[in-house]
Amino acid sequence: MDELEFRRTLYADPNCNDERILAAITDDPKKQEFHKELKQLDRSMKLASQVKVPDDLVHKLILRQTMQSHRASKVRNRIQLAMAASVAFVVGVSFTMWQQYNLLNIADQAIAHVYQEGSYALEAQNNVSLQQVNAKLAQFGGEFTEELGPVYYANFCDFENVRSLHMVMQGENGKVSVFVIPHDDAHNAKSEAHARGYQSQAMDAKRASIVVVGEEGSNIQGVKEKLKRNIHFSA
Amino acid sequence: MFSRKQNSQASVSSDMANKQKRYEVLVLALHTDIFRYACWLVKNKTVAEDIVQETFLRAWKSLDSLKDEKAAKSWLITILRRENARRFERKQFDLVDIDDVSVIDDQLSNEVEIEHRELRAVMGSLSEEYREPLMLQIIFGYSGDEIAEQLDLNKNTVMTRLFRARNQVKEALEKANDNRGRENG
Repeated sequence: MDELEFRRTLYADPNCNDERILAAITDDPKKQEFHKELKQLDRSMKLASQVKVPDDLVHKLILRQTMQSHRASKVRNRIQLAMAASVAFVVGVSFTMWQQYNLLNIADQAIAHVYQEGSYALEAQNNVSLQQVNAKLAQFGGEFTEELGPVYYANFCDFENVRSLHMVMQGENGKVSVFVIPHDDAHNAKSEAHARGYQSQAMDAKRASIVVVGEEGSNIQGVKEKLKRNIHFSA
Repeated sequence: MFSRKQNSQASVSSDMANKQKRYEVLVLALHTDIFRYACWLVKNKTVAEDIVQETFLRAWKSLDSLKDEKAAKSWLITILRRENARRFERKQFDLVDIDDVSVIDDQLSNEVEIEHRELRAVMGSLSEEYREPLMLQIIFGYSGDEIAEQLDLNKNTVMTRLFRARNQVKEALEKANDNRGRENG
């Protein structure tokens, strides 16, 4: 190893453990001196490099990270809250939909009622006056303002455990049964049904639902329109 | 169902506690050297402190990616150097030149200060390409290979820079001695 390489190597790293360097040093007192000098310079530089660290730096470093993770956990809490809210929302919406799906189809019920009852109401010939009808309808806070045409039967009945007005009146072709049922959120007030030779349509008249049942093929639309125009509820 | 949830929460918080402990160990063991290295890198104590804070914050955020504690030192140096580079992307600071290293001088104990004032000025006057590998060697005791890996340089390049760095320091010191000799004589 020549002098230049020796110097270059030690200058680059005074603590170099290269065997050739170590061998060269042992043989030469001048090189030993040079080596010592360089090591001394390194020690001095090490001391000189030791800038004083601010006392509070450690605390700042640890505190900042604690605050950071606190923020992160707050964000996580918000996310959890948002997820819980979404779940609650979905449950609410599906419950509402389920409930609507399970609404009582009063059109169906009305047909069943008429069918079960048989001829009892349909064959009645009571010739009920408008005043008598209105007297019964007053129970539900309503009245008919115009003549309805012939009404053969008008009485209270039990409609799915709800006290309702059951009437039989003359339609355009044949008798029709009319039910006036107090308003109930569990009722599907806009349903239609066809069954057992009957057809029925329900409509919503503010404080009550009205269901018209006629024989299959008869025109119940006209009766329905007439009733809707005619019925009024006191506020 | 509820007990399972509690368990997972407990393990999450114990994970957090572990992470916290790891981080604190890291801070206590390395913040001094990292801060000093930052000072010599940017030659300004205030900026250095900012960069060190950013560095450790990033370290905290990605602590899970540090698999081996032995690699922590070079991992932190890498983050620090990246933070320093980002600083230049953001904004060019007016830096106090370390030739009048009053910022750093004030903070040193008296003895060391008097003895090494000159040396610090010389070290600070080295250009960054020489100063950086030299400080890695002096502060962290890195070998040529380690410096090469850290700075992503060829080892021969590193050794040449280290040689030139010491050469410049020696020459500057000798020149200063000569001047002083002349003034005194």
